[in-house]
Amino acid sequence: MNCASRHPDPGSPDGFDPRSGSLIERALFNHRHWVLLLCLLTTLVLGWQSTRLELNASFEKMIPTGHPYIANYLERQKELSGLGNTLRIAVANTRGEIYDTAYLDTLQKLSERIYLLPGVDRAYMKSLWTPATRWVSVTEDGLDGGPVIPDDYNGSPESLAELRRNVQLSNEIGQLVAFDQRSSIIQVPLLARTPDGKALDYAVLAGQLEALRGEFAKDGIAIHVTGFAKKVGDLIDGLQQILVFFAVAILITTAVLYAYTRCVRSTLLVVICSLVAVVWQLGLLPLLDFQLDPYSVLVPFLVFAIGMSHGAQKMNGIMQDIGRGMHRVVAARFTFRRLFLAGLTALLCDAVGFAVLMIIQIKVIQDLAIIASIGVAVLIFTNLILLPVLLSYVGVSPCAAAISLRSERAEQSGKARHPFWRFLDLFTRKPWASLCIGVSLVLAVLGFLVSLHLAIGDLDAGAPELRADSRYNRDDAFMTQAYGASSDLFAIMVQTPAGACARYDVLRKVDELDWQLRSLPGVDSTNSLALLNRRMLVGLSEGNPKWYELQNNQAMLNMITASAPRGLYNEACNLLTLYVYLTDHKAETLTRLVQHVEGFAAANNTAEVKFLLAAGNAGIEAATNIVVREANREMLFWVYGAVILLCLLTFRSWRATLCAVIPLMLTSILCEALMVWLGIGVKVATLPVIALGVGIGVDYALYVMSILLAHLRQGASLSEAYYRALVSTGKVVMLTGVTLAIGVGTWMFSPIKFQADMGVLLAFMFVWNMVGALVLLPALARFLLPVRPASLPTESSVRQEVSHAS
Amino acid sequence: MNRLLQSSGLLLVLALPLASTCQAQAMLQQRAVGDVLQSPAMQIAHPQRAVFTALARAGERLVAVGERGLILLSDDNGQHWRQVAVPVSVGLTAVAFADARNGWVTGHSGVVLATRDGGESWSLQLDGERAAHVELEDARRAAQQAPDDEMAVTRLETAERIAGEAADKPFLAVAARDERSVLVVGAYGLALRSDDGGASWHSLMGRIDNPDGLHLYAVARQGESWVLAGEQGYLARSDDGEHFHPLPSPYHGSLFTLATRADGALLIGGLKGNAFVLAAGAQQAEALPTLAPVSFSDAITLGDGRVLLSNQSGGLFTSAVGGLEPAFAAQRKPVAAVVQAADGSLVTAGFTGLSRVAAPTVSASE
Repeated sequence: MNCASRHPDPGSPDGFDPRSGSLIERALFNHRHWVLLLCLLTTLVLGWQSTRLELNASFEKMIPTGHPYIANYLERQKELSGLGNTLRIAVANTRGEIYDTAYLDTLQKLSERIYLLPGVDRAYMKSLWTPATRWVSVTEDGLDGGPVIPDDYNGSPESLAELRRNVQLSNEIGQLVAFDQRSSIIQVPLLARTPDGKALDYAVLAGQLEALRGEFAKDGIAIHVTGFAKKVGDLIDGLQQILVFFAVAILITTAVLYAYTRCVRSTLLVVICSLVAVVWQLGLLPLLDFQLDPYSVLVPFLVFAIGMSHGAQKMNGIMQDIGRGMHRVVAARFTFRRLFLAGLTALLCDAVGFAVLMIIQIKVIQDLAIIASIGVAVLIFTNLILLPVLLSYVGVSPCAAAISLRSERAEQSGKARHPFWRFLDLFTRKPWASLCIGVSLVLAVLGFLVSLHLAIGDLDAGAPELRADSRYNRDDAFMTQAYGASSDLFAIMVQTPAGACARYDVLRKVDELDWQLRSLPGVDSTNSLALLNRRMLVGLSEGNPKWYELQNNQAMLNMITASAPRGLYNEACNLLTLYVYLTDHKAETLTRLVQHVEGFAAANNTAEVKFLLAAGNAGIEAATNIVVREANREMLFWVYGAVILLCLLTFRSWRATLCAVIPLMLTSILCEALMVWLGIGVKVATLPVIALGVGIGVDYALYVMSILLAHLRQGASLSEAYYRALVSTGKVVMLTGVTLAIGVGTWMFSPIKFQADMGVLLAFMFVWNMVGALVLLPALARFLLPVRPASLPTESSVRQEVSHAS
Repeated sequence: MNRLLQSSGLLLVLALPLASTCQAQAMLQQRAVGDVLQSPAMQIAHPQRAVFTALARAGERLVAVGERGLILLSDDNGQHWRQVAVPVSVGLTAVAFADARNGWVTGHSGVVLATRDGGESWSLQLDGERAAHVELEDARRAAQQAPDDEMAVTRLETAERIAGEAADKPFLAVAARDERSVLVVGAYGLALRSDDGGASWHSLMGRIDNPDGLHLYAVARQGESWVLAGEQGYLARSDDGEHFHPLPSPYHGSLFTLATRADGALLIGGLKGNAFVLAAGAQQAEALPTLAPVSFSDAITLGDGRVLLSNQSGGLFTSAVGGLEPAFAAQRKPVAAVVQAADGSLVTAGFTGLSRVAAPTVSASE
């Protein structure tokens, strides 16, 4: 690296009129001390505030509470036991069947320990050892029954044999006891609040469960835990690893920036300013009563990334001006003048991109939208104002300044342009531009055709937030395999007048729907009070299968209902639940089911009896899918609308706007195709990425296009103007595009599946938007932007034009 | 201009995916749920996995009946099944064929269905309301003829009460002598007979001594006589199929199923593995040793003249000297009914659907 052409330090900003420039520029740069002091105070206050920030996850935030299905569910949540928050702990005997003294002892001890955990709904906890687990048998004289574990159980072979017989008679095989009888379940319903009134802390509970697993899962005992509480616990656990990924991403970004600038001072400044933005953002959240959750935890990093992108642009501008011999204050002011508007527009585009996510009626995404918008708004202060002001104090290393002008100098000294710039320049010429547009067109059409297969929702079994081979999903697979019923549960609520839940006309409808649904592809099995009535009538008729019928005999129906387990109907007997167990939770399966039930409800709902969708994890997912599907196109429409409007305002040219926006659209299409290829569905976690991609991508186009346009308006040829844009802002676009892609690319190794998905998609969008801005943009400009005949403008008019245009 | 066209074309292509692909959700046109007697059985995707209660042979063909009006036919000895249209969607309980073409099916809500074409099509011959009406008319006539008979008066009162209630009582068994004579029995001692293939029915309840109205679970022919079995060990025989006289009860638990052996003896399967044999013409049924304490569900006469009994947990037993012996591999699922197909293999029905025990297994065990 040649540093010999060291420019003499101008020393002071002599000859610069501090009264020049816009009002904002004068207000800021003529009171630099105040700006710094204010920023310092803000940082201290918000830094202190940010210590109050909480990390939390809430079940209700992740679901579209505004959707009628979810509203139906939330309204009746208290009545629907067993649908929300129940842990299932399978205790398996790896050495054989459960009729084993050592196994039963361990099961008893573990049950007792779990019973004592805070937040457990003790009255409804169930295991082989709870007295509520009973067997029933038909005898000549009627029914006989008792607790499954005999009252006089003593571990002897006789009592084990009795237990085996009781289990056979208990109807619990497939429920509490696995089909292969090598494991049994402890069912643990959870309370929303612990007895002391505090909200249940999932992280703590998950920790306690892991401790119990560590203590008991040995000597032939294996423990498998599933349930929302465990899943959230695992997610919160994973968040700590996310922080490590952020740290890695920040280090990579910093290292690459330093490698590029070779200037410790300015690199640190850019990183610090971006981190200050993150601190401000995190400090504002508790003030505005927001929390970070597993989705929005990614936002601070995005804000950092965007900050780096803009900071690097500012720094590069100042460096080049200093390299040209300007004083650092003057350089800072000129750069501010040249790039403030482009930067502001770009940040506004980002903010709009985020804000548009507000239209999705899912609380986590709305929170994410607000949090991200706050972050971007903060960046306007830290990276567009604080950074140039700081740079005007510390300046940059002269050596780095010289390097930043290498291309310019090389050209002045008659050397050829860098081959890479010459290559990119090809796209401003007709043959290459045509080729590029042709290829883009083909890509767009192919991408569009592939993107038609874009799936809505989740495609994998188990907990989609976590990886397929995670502990949780392996436990989930164990449950599905050993106990038959899959974890994809769709529940239909049937509202009846009080006390009428067992009426024949109501049960007849439930029975019919039950029967229709079991014929639908994707439905594994069902359960309802109607089905229980059929089974119980057989049981009460000495097991004779000829009595398998829903009889129009109200006295019998009332009697059976009175002994039915909790969950099929509620206390007030005005709500029935029809459970549908699905073979998968693919969008297609859910849509088919939802449409069928909607049709049934339309034909059968009366003023008194209403079939309402939907509860259970699959029911919630069905509603989420509907919301996401609607939001997907709508969101793109608004985000592009906003970006186009802001571009029109900035460029004052619809042709330039097209040049900037079309590459973004290509990226959006290809991103959808990539999602199809990688098997990623549109879901809560990936929906924001598409909007963010547009918002961030437009930054690149704005920086390149504003400089290109300014030079074109000065009368430069397209090739010349593009070259000027490349060596000033274009190379920084390249730098940030690659750096940020590497940064988010590391997320692929995250234990949390949705973070990995987001990482892949964001990395793709960073890179492809950069390629679009550097290749497709000039190619489009070749055909769209008219080249003005050079009118030999004067220096002052050029300056005016440049500041006006950018 | 050319350039403009080019670029606007590109724009159009790029903007395409943004166009709303929202489709009007084609809602399935559904009708309101109606009465089970008015609603034809729904055609379902995998009918052989539903709950089945009874099986019969119609010539070479197998007929299975089950929940919600399901009737399935198999013409390849139980390997493939097809569902046929049935005018009602009540649970069906029993099936009997007089020959390859004429058969009857009983069900809940007093349903009797008949076929004249080997099970391809079914017509409703009787429902609970008509059945109650037949008994009421009969009881009235009897009470008029003998106004002082206390039994007749009680019978009329019962008939009036039943006619006033929901017609939900099921017929639980059916037997046919030929394409004309058929007898159906059911809950609360319900028993009707037709001598014109089901066109008209008359009540047998005045001629069956069943004062407690015990459920009748089985009806079978033993030679030229008819035998009924039911709740609390109820057992009755008739030589003409009109007048039944009770036999001494061998047992106080329920008797579920009947089948005759080659030697004319009737095997009786009951609750908790209790089985009995009633020799032709004998008055007293003899107990057989209990092999497993699980209730018997069905009994059939095999091609070789032995009787095969199935129990509720899938055990299969054949008649042997001195009692029963386990036969064939026990099914690992509840069995409600069993039938022998034309090729000698067994087909079972139950809560988990229909399954075939292939012929080689049968012959291997023999």
